[in-house]
Amino acid sequence: MSQRVFITGYGIITSIGKNTQENFQSLTLRRCGFGELSILDTIHQKDLPACEIKLHDQELREAAGIKTEKGYTRTALLGLLALQEAIHSAGLSLTDIRNSGLISATTTGGIREFEKFFYQITDLQQQGDFDQFTDTANPGEHCERIADHVGIRQCIATVSTACSSSANAIMQGAQLIKAKKIDRVICGGAEALSKFTVNGFNSLMIVDPEHCRPFDNTRKGLNLGEGAAYLVLESEALVNQKRRKPLAELKGYGNANDSFHLTASSPEGTGAFNAMNLALSVAGFSAADVDYINAHGTATENNDLSEGMGIQRLFREQVPYFSSTKPYTGHTLAAAGSIEAVFCMMALQHQIIWPNLNFSSQMQEITISPVREMMQNTVLKNILSNSFGFGGNTSSLLFSLV
Amino acid sequence: MQEICAYESNVLTCIIPSFKTYISPGQLRRLSRMHRIGLTAATMCLRDANVQVPDGIITASGYGFLEETEKFLTEMLERNEKQLTPTYFIQGTYNALAGLIALSTKCLGYNNTYVSKGFAFENALHDVMLQLSENSTSNFLVGSSDEAAKVLYAIGMRAQYYKVENIPNLKLFDSQTTGTIQGEGSAFFMVSGAPSATTWCAIKDLQMVYTPQHEGEFNLALTSFLEVNKIKLSEIDVWVSGASGNIEHDHLLHHLEKTVLQQTPQIRFKHLCGEYCTAVSFGLWIGASILKKQSIPDILKVSTPEFSLEKIETVLIVNQYLNRNYSFVLLKK
Repeated sequence: MSQRVFITGYGIITSIGKNTQENFQSLTLRRCGFGELSILDTIHQKDLPACEIKLHDQELREAAGIKTEKGYTRTALLGLLALQEAIHSAGLSLTDIRNSGLISATTTGGIREFEKFFYQITDLQQQGDFDQFTDTANPGEHCERIADHVGIRQCIATVSTACSSSANAIMQGAQLIKAKKIDRVICGGAEALSKFTVNGFNSLMIVDPEHCRPFDNTRKGLNLGEGAAYLVLESEALVNQKRRKPLAELKGYGNANDSFHLTASSPEGTGAFNAMNLALSVAGFSAADVDYINAHGTATENNDLSEGMGIQRLFREQVPYFSSTKPYTGHTLAAAGSIEAVFCMMALQHQIIWPNLNFSSQMQEITISPVREMMQNTVLKNILSNSFGFGGNTSSLLFSLV
Repeated sequence: MQEICAYESNVLTCIIPSFKTYISPGQLRRLSRMHRIGLTAATMCLRDANVQVPDGIITASGYGFLEETEKFLTEMLERNEKQLTPTYFIQGTYNALAGLIALSTKCLGYNNTYVSKGFAFENALHDVMLQLSENSTSNFLVGSSDEAAKVLYAIGMRAQYYKVENIPNLKLFDSQTTGTIQGEGSAFFMVSGAPSATTWCAIKDLQMVYTPQHEGEFNLALTSFLEVNKIKLSEIDVWVSGASGNIEHDHLLHHLEKTVLQQTPQIRFKHLCGEYCTAVSFGLWIGASILKKQSIPDILKVSTPEFSLEKIETVLIVNQYLNRNYSFVLLKK
């Protein structure tokens, strides 16, 4: 009935690099994107540093090869750049692309442009160039735009489950392939920083003005980030037709709801436990098969406690290596799941575990601690990648070496 | 369908039920208007299906909770990013309703939210069908919510989504102009892999067609869809058209009624709910109601061809949104 799902390519852009190679280098050299904001126009440029991509929209447009076409929001531009790299890396032809699906994730779409031109757009007396961003408060807009740009026609979907969005986009793509509804789906997410998000998270009082410290006892909150990443998912049948070896297999996935509070996770990590446990059971694995967990690890008090408890409960005495890469990229919200899935691909390909930066003091409530230095002499076969969000959404993906 | 509302303006808003019947007073106080409407629709559905805790929850919305998003945004702009409270920010989150229903029902299972413009509800329905194919005994709650936000009216007028001239909603299909009327709504369905005593109808299949280029391509997509499902044209008792009253955007549906579906009785629904990204969910409710009740309210009927139905067994829904997002949903008794 069902068939296996493989990853055959990917693309990424974050504050630590505008492509795969740059991201890999930064991860290896412990280079982070954290710093004062200079591109986003906000009063918080200095007091709420974040992980910003230091390229202006015009530079992003040029990199993506857009000349005169209008209406590309920063989210769409970041998405398009990552999508183009993913398509190139999987070696897809125009026909391949046309027959592919696109499942993209975002939490705010083009709100960055909408907030900038809000008073002009909503005043019907005004005319001007801002017109191109009229409908960018719509979260699905970026997905259709980048699908149209590259020529994807088969299946179009936009997912928004807060900070777990792109993990759910990848999971949905895998299920479509498994059920033989489609042979190739490109899945991921795109998220540009906006005043809306910076102020929203600030009003929740979970942003740390200092560099974030996941799983550290002194952690004070998250750093926001921006970026995009897409993975090319292909069916077993399609992979068998090709000569290229796939990069990895998506063996398992789990989606659950914590059902505790709209903006907080349960202290005992019910959702985290259930999502990881489901991913293991879909893969037919036991806890002992997992070599590394790329944790959600946002460095908020609440997330790291809940996730840590969930990991401890599931893995008991045999907790695998784990780390959060959020200090590198910041929390890229809807894009986090796919960005970290790409980091997992790199980890599998190069057999490297990326360190959890800024950890120095053990959390009181748990006994486990993250990997602090880059590890190169370990065998990595199976990796779990966690993504959790507001609304109780918890998801976990399981990638395996082919 | 007994009490049809006529509206004189181009904005159709929800008829509000007594929220107290569905939502506890403590919860009611903290919820925005659209969250109340969504949670009420979900609760009605849970009661009708006699399910306390669904196995999963999937929601769909085109613009989310735009009223709340706008409130946070304008506060932020007016106060120059100072002294903001998070309430509107949280309530404006796209997955807030799915999270809220999960909290209310204590559902720890699958939870997802789609926000794909005119495909959002179809994506959600498709997802349910995938989940049920892996576990057929489950009950999944799937639903939509979109609100006729004032800010969306401004966006829609600028983007020429809505009509410039005022038109009474019941005369929507007499209109010969572009644009449509703004609507809103929330509809929830309990979808299960196996029939039960509370079953309304079966969803046989669903297909989305993205930006069809011409009439031939669109007609072919429909005939292939029917062929895959082994349905002859003569077997379709009635088709539900998602025509929006926009003379340009409806052209593929108008072509369909003159060609492939020429012999099939047609009904329409967007004069009653207005146009919104997830309006097709209202169309699904109409289709399912017709199969359950075995009758078609006159207000939905398009005069030709004649309706002379003894038994209604097969309903086809064909929707369009902005002439970009097209979908077919096939329902069986």
